[in-house]
Amino acid sequence: MTLSGPAFRRFAAPALGLGTVIGAFAAVEGLIRAGVINRFVVPLPSQVLAAIPRIVAEESVPHRFWQTTQEALAASVLLVVVGIALGMLMFRFRLLRRACETSVAALASAPIVLMYPLFLVIFGRSGTTIVMIAFVAGLPPVILKTVEGLAGTRSVLLDVGHSFRLSKAQLFRKILLPAALPSIFVGLRVGLIFMLINIVGVEFLINFGGLGQLINELAERYDLPGTYGAILFVILASVLFFVVLERAEQWLLPRTA
Amino acid sequence: MLVRSPVIAPQAPGTPTTPPAAAGAPILTVADIVKRFGEGQDSLLAVDGVSFSVAQGEFVSLIGPSGCGKSTLFNIIGGLAGSFEGRVAVDGQTVSGTHPAFGMVFQEESTFPWRTVIDNVAFPLEIAGIGKRERHERARHFVSLVGLDGFERRYPAELSGGMRQRVAIARTLSSEPRILLMDEPFAALDEQTRLLLGDKVLQIHQQLRQTTLLITHNITEAVQLSDRVLVMTYRPGTLKRAVGIDLPRPRTSEVVGSDVFGHYVAQIWNDLREEASRGIREDESRTLRRGEPQ
Amino acid sequence: MAAAAYGLDFAAPARAQPLRVWALRAAIIAVLLAIWEIVARSGWLFQDVVPTLPVIARAVLRTLSDPAFYRNLKVTAGEIAAALVIGGTAGMVIGLMLGSSRFLSLAYEAFIHYVGPTPKIIFFPIMILWFGTGPGSKIAMGALSCFFPIVISVAAGMRQIAPVLVRVGRSFRASPWQMTRLVYLPAMRTPVVNGLRLGLGIAIIGTLLAETKLSNQGLGYLIIQSYATFDMPRMYALLIVLFVLAIGLNALLGRYAARDLSRPDMV
Repeated sequence: MTLSGPAFRRFAAPALGLGTVIGAFAAVEGLIRAGVINRFVVPLPSQVLAAIPRIVAEESVPHRFWQTTQEALAASVLLVVVGIALGMLMFRFRLLRRACETSVAALASAPIVLMYPLFLVIFGRSGTTIVMIAFVAGLPPVILKTVEGLAGTRSVLLDVGHSFRLSKAQLFRKILLPAALPSIFVGLRVGLIFMLINIVGVEFLINFGGLGQLINELAERYDLPGTYGAILFVILASVLFFVVLERAEQWLLPRTA
Repeated sequence: MLVRSPVIAPQAPGTPTTPPAAAGAPILTVADIVKRFGEGQDSLLAVDGVSFSVAQGEFVSLIGPSGCGKSTLFNIIGGLAGSFEGRVAVDGQTVSGTHPAFGMVFQEESTFPWRTVIDNVAFPLEIAGIGKRERHERARHFVSLVGLDGFERRYPAELSGGMRQRVAIARTLSSEPRILLMDEPFAALDEQTRLLLGDKVLQIHQQLRQTTLLITHNITEAVQLSDRVLVMTYRPGTLKRAVGIDLPRPRTSEVVGSDVFGHYVAQIWNDLREEASRGIREDESRTLRRGEPQ
Repeated sequence: MAAAAYGLDFAAPARAQPLRVWALRAAIIAVLLAIWEIVARSGWLFQDVVPTLPVIARAVLRTLSDPAFYRNLKVTAGEIAAALVIGGTAGMVIGLMLGSSRFLSLAYEAFIHYVGPTPKIIFFPIMILWFGTGPGSKIAMGALSCFFPIVISVAAGMRQIAPVLVRVGRSFRASPWQMTRLVYLPAMRTPVVNGLRLGLGIAIIGTLLAETKLSNQGLGYLIIQSYATFDMPRMYALLIVLFVLAIGLNALLGRYAARDLSRPDMV
C-alpha cells in the first residue's frame, strides 16, 4: 500500500475519524488520571466503558429496552395508520388540503414536545403519555409527505391510467399509491426518528419508562460512570435504530426514483 | 512545435489577406502535455502529447469530437487541473497553476447570481484590491464592450442566457488577461444567439487585438473566428492537424458565405468526422462490454 | 423545523385563498372550539384538566400582563440566543470545513449524520455537572441540540454550490478568505439561513426542555411550576403563548429567507 495509492486513500479518511475518537478517549483518560480534569465531573472513560456491561446486568437493561421498544412500536403503528390515513384524506379532499396544509406545516415546526406537562396531566405518568407525545410529534411529516407524494404524481401517469379506463379505486391502488411510496417512506423515516427521539426524551423527563428513565435514575443516584455509560448506550441504540431505518428504506424502495 | 497544413483552397481574387500569424516569439507555448486520470488499470489517458503555440494577437480555435480532452486541456492551460506532464509557458517562462496572464471563460452558467452585472464584471478588480469607484468605472467600459449598456444594475436572473455569457466574458476581459481562454462559451445557447455572440467576439478581438484560445466543437464558429484551427483526435487527445485560416478580416457575412470558407469547413469536417465516428464506435463497444455478464 | 434537517422543507407557498378555504378553516376551528367547550363543561375529564375557553382566555390575558412572565421570558430568550450563537458558530465553522474538504467529510461527517437524530436531552445530567444548575447548563443543552442540524445544513449548502462558481473564483486567483467571503458564503446564503431557522427551532426545544427539567427561572420553569401547582389555566396560557411565539418566529424567519430568494439562485 503506497502512501498515495487509492487503497490508502480509501481507508485513510475513516481511519482518521475513528482514530480521532479513540485518541480523544485516550487523551481524556490521561488528563483525568493526571488530575487536570476533575474525575468527579468527568469519570474515566475506561470506567464508563466498564460501566456498560455492569448496567446491562444490574439494571435489567433488556427489560427496559423492551419497554422502550413497546412504546416505540405502539407509537409507530399509530403513526403509520393515522398519519397515512390523514394524508390520504387531505389528498382526496382538495379543499381540506388547502385549508389545513399550512397549519400542519406550522405544527411540524412547533415545539410539540414542550406540551409534555399537559399530557402528563391528562394521561398521568404512564406509557400512554410517552406514546401520545411521540405520536403527535411525529405526525406532521408523515401527513405532509403522504399528501406531497400523492399530489406529486406526474399527470402523464394518470393519463395512462385514464386511457386504460381504470376505476378510481384501481387508479389509486395501481398508480397513485406506488408513485407516492418513495415520498411516504421519507415522511415515515422522519416521523419515526422524531418519534424515537421524543420517546427517549420524554422517558427521561418524566422519569418513567425504559431507557430514558434509566439515565435519569443513574443521574439522580450520582452514579457517574453509570450515567455516562447509559447515555453512551442509548446513543448507540438510537444510531442502530437509525441505521436499521435507512437500510429498510433502501431495501423497500426499488431503485426507480 | 508548429504544424501547418498547406492552404488548399484558392483565394478569391482581389481580397486582402491578413498577414501571417506568429510574427516574433509566441506568447503562449504548450509542450508535450500528457494527462492521465486515475491509476493503473482503470486509468484514462485523456491527453497524449499535445504541443502548440499561440502568437500575440492570434485567435486560435481548438476543435475536436466530444471526449477528445479539449476541456481537460483548457483546465490544464488555465492552471485549474491537477497534475499533468508537460509544460505550459507564457513568453517563454514556464507557468504552473493559475496565472494572471490567463483569463478563463467557462462553458456553464458562471455569473454570480447574487451580484449585479456591474459587480460581476468588477469581480476580478475587487480581488485585485481596487477601490469601488475605480473598479466600477473600469467595469463599465467592459460592460459596454459586450453591448450590455444599461444593464449594470440588473441581476443575472433577469437576463437571458446569451446576456449572462456576455457578462461572463466581460468579467474575464476586465481582468485584462494577456491570453483569453474560452471553453465552448456558446455551447448552451441557441443557434441565433450563438451567431450574434460570435460576431461580438470578433468585434472584441478586432478592437483589443486580444490573444484568444477558443475551445469549440462547432466548425463554422471555429473557421469564422480564428486565424488558425487546431484539430484534435479522439481520446487520447493529440493534435491531428493545424489549419491556417487565410481569410480576410473583418469576417463579414460575405466572407462567411464564400467558397473559400466552405472549403475550410469541409476540410476540417473531413478530419473530424473520422475522429467523431471512432469516438462513437468506442463508446458503443465500451457500453456493450460493460453490460456483459462477467 | 427539525424536519428540514432531514431534507424536508414544508414552506407552503403563499396563494390567494378563496372564500371557501377560509370558510372551511373557520368551520374547523369553530368545531374544535365547540368540542373543547363541551368537554370542559361536561365534567367528564378530571376537573380543570380541560378548562373552559373563557377561563383559558382570562389566563392568557393574565399571563401577558404579568411582569414575572416577561422576566422569565427574557431569561429564556437570552439562553436561546446564547445557545444559537454558540451552536450556530460552531456549526458553521465545522460545516464549512466538512463541506469544503472531501477528506474531512469522509473522516467525520458520518458521526454527525448518525449521532444527529438522537435525543440530546439525555445529555442534560452531564451538562449540569459541567455547567452547574444555572443558565449555563440550559445554554449548553440548546447549543448541543442546534449544532447538529446547522452543521448538516451548512455542509450540504457548501456542496450544492455550483462547481463552476468556485472555478471562477480560483481562475481569478482569489485568496482563501476572499473565496469564503465573496464566493462560498453568498452562494450558500439560502441553505445557511434555512439552517439557522431550523437551528433556532431546535435550540428553543432543547433550552426549554432543560428548563422544565431543572431550573428556577425561564419559561420552561414557569410551565413545570404550573404543572406542579396544578394551575392548569396558567399552563395552557403559557403553552399557547409559547407556541404562538415559536411558530410566529419561524414564520417571520421564513419570510426573511423568502425575501432573500427574490433574487432567485439560478444555480
